[in-house]
Amino acid sequence: MTHDLAALPRPALTVINRSGNGLFQKIAECRHYRTLFVFLALRDITLRYRQTILGVAWAVLQPLLPVVIFTAVFARVLRPSTGGVPYWLFVLAGMAPWSFFANAINISGATFVSNHNLLNKVYFPRMILPGAAVAACSLDFLVVSVCLLGLASWRGYYPNLGWLLLPVVGLVTAGLAMAVGLALASLMAFYRDIKHVLPFLVQLWMFATPIMYSINLLPRQLQPAVGLNPMAGVIEALRSCLFGTPPDWRLLALSGFSIVAIGLAAIFLFHRLEADLAERV
Amino acid sequence: MKSISVRGLTKEFKLSERNGNYRMIRDWFSAGRRKEASRRSVSFLALDDVSFDTEPGEVLGLIGRNGAGKSTLLKILARILRPTRGHIELRGRVGSLLEVGSGFHGELTGRENIFLNAAILGMQHREIVRKLEEIVEFAGVGQYLDEPVKTYSSGMYMRLAFSVAAHIEPEILLVDEVLAVGDADFQKKCMHRIEQVGKHGQTVLFVSHNIQAVLRLCSRALLIDHGRVAHLGPVHEVAASYLSTGGANQAERVYPEGPYAPGDSIVRLRSVRIRSRAGETLPTVELREELGLEMEFEVQDGALVLFPVLTLQNEWGTEVLWATDADTEWHGRIRPPGRYRVTAWIPPHFLAAGAKTVTAAMYSFLPRVEHFRETDAVGFQTVDTLGPGTSRGDFTGHIGATTWPKLEWTVEYQEHRHLHPAGSSASRV
Repeated sequence: MTHDLAALPRPALTVINRSGNGLFQKIAECRHYRTLFVFLALRDITLRYRQTILGVAWAVLQPLLPVVIFTAVFARVLRPSTGGVPYWLFVLAGMAPWSFFANAINISGATFVSNHNLLNKVYFPRMILPGAAVAACSLDFLVVSVCLLGLASWRGYYPNLGWLLLPVVGLVTAGLAMAVGLALASLMAFYRDIKHVLPFLVQLWMFATPIMYSINLLPRQLQPAVGLNPMAGVIEALRSCLFGTPPDWRLLALSGFSIVAIGLAAIFLFHRLEADLAERV
Repeated sequence: MKSISVRGLTKEFKLSERNGNYRMIRDWFSAGRRKEASRRSVSFLALDDVSFDTEPGEVLGLIGRNGAGKSTLLKILARILRPTRGHIELRGRVGSLLEVGSGFHGELTGRENIFLNAAILGMQHREIVRKLEEIVEFAGVGQYLDEPVKTYSSGMYMRLAFSVAAHIEPEILLVDEVLAVGDADFQKKCMHRIEQVGKHGQTVLFVSHNIQAVLRLCSRALLIDHGRVAHLGPVHEVAASYLSTGGANQAERVYPEGPYAPGDSIVRLRSVRIRSRAGETLPTVELREELGLEMEFEVQDGALVLFPVLTLQNEWGTEVLWATDADTEWHGRIRPPGRYRVTAWIPPHFLAAGAKTVTAAMYSFLPRVEHFRETDAVGFQTVDTLGPGTSRGDFTGHIGATTWPKLEWTVEYQEHRHLHPAGSSASRV
């Protein structure tokens, strides 16, 4: 029995006091809980599609339905400039990462509150809960992305070197969703108001993101501000890779900066709030 | 080398009077009033300067009343709660069985739940795969392994949950009241499992209300009372000191003569005690023994029909028994002045084990008058025993009921497939 333990990576000595683990210790600890991360994500996926008739098809239908609506409504009204890309394809390229992001932060933001029974009974690195929720959503994103690539090829946007960067864009989106989800989950444990205000904020955020319009449509003075919206950069990067259009470098730099800032802020916020988490959820 | 070393552990809970457990955004807009609110918030010391050590391979029992701080201590050791002050060192991987099955999900199959729950408890994938068979066998749910656990009976569900938890192999295992699951057979398996863990050099911290189980598994115990270490030492000594501290910790109370005794000009209480037939005062009573609740009172004005009432409360304040002298010659008659000693006899194999307190009261009616009501006048302990002839028989688990009467049970047994006419095969036990 005991000799098995020697083989396991584990700290020989655990110290418990008021200040708790350091930030880097917390992050390093997550490595030992890879298995938990995987099984939590698998649980979410299994539960989402068990007892549904359409199953994973929902992953595609969810972003597709708004695309149909937006195309029907805005294609004529806005006459948006899309650089020659069919409007519906242009919107789908924006909606695919957005619906992943919105879904992921909605679900992961609630993880601390919805898993209160776990938080009160067992210790594991708490960061894993929102992280695994985002990972579960990324399966949907993968399915949608494959459809998007298929449709793009069908309309003549053939695979090019830019496509190799698409996984990077996907990973950045997932990372961003984890950071925002972690911050929301921590805050929601203390302020339940977040739960009520979140759907509204997500809606607002969607309209502030260039999904159904192109940034060029906005007044020139406003364009840099849009860059601070990290999802604007993600979508711009994705479209540029997919359709081979030249990217707006200033926008990408601004978004990159705000992604890093949001990530750091989320981790510090979590680090500060974690001590009282179990007592509050 | 110590496996657990706890120094000066203190945990303070702040109970905000304003809005329970969580703040609201509203509070941001009332920064001025927030200071006031924090001044009004009440703090409560769940643990107060607790220190102790354990050696590797030791099974340390943790006992104490509900709310004494046992669960808080375990939760801090399990790193679920953060201490307010103090320093703890744990050598080795820590596993906790604070509540079995908390990560279970009804829609997932038994197999899926095993993997998820084992991962929650800190096991690696390889480890889980290797132990899967053992876990399934221990739980005895083989053929239902790929059914959703919502279709399980509650017994199967708990067995599976415990089985997963019992197969983590940490150097330090924290166990809280998990023996309350399953049938006697499964409980024996669980006890055996915990014993084995101790023998393999792992440290076990075992919390239970079941003194019997603590006595069996532990060599040392820690008694916590109001968040402080009340007694730390050999398990028999600690168990004895736990059993001897009831809410009212004396088995006999004699009231002073004259106007200071509870009562009025009609009748006054003289004494209350717990006694045996032979007349001894009993601070501790085994469940197999008969016991008497005795009350002595002095009637000064013989003009009323008096009803002496004795009630028994358990350690959670639940009234488990109410009795008056309904079948004595004095019932319903006017009592002439004098001293009366009345005793209510409680049959053996009737009460639950634990701390009990007695309330003595005197009433008369038309009009209704309460002449005295002395709550928690005396206290005593009822001690549980195992084995043939007792209420619990060979059942070793926790019993939550307020009384455990030994009842007459009848068994009607039908041999498989052969149906005998009803009644003819009935045997009385």
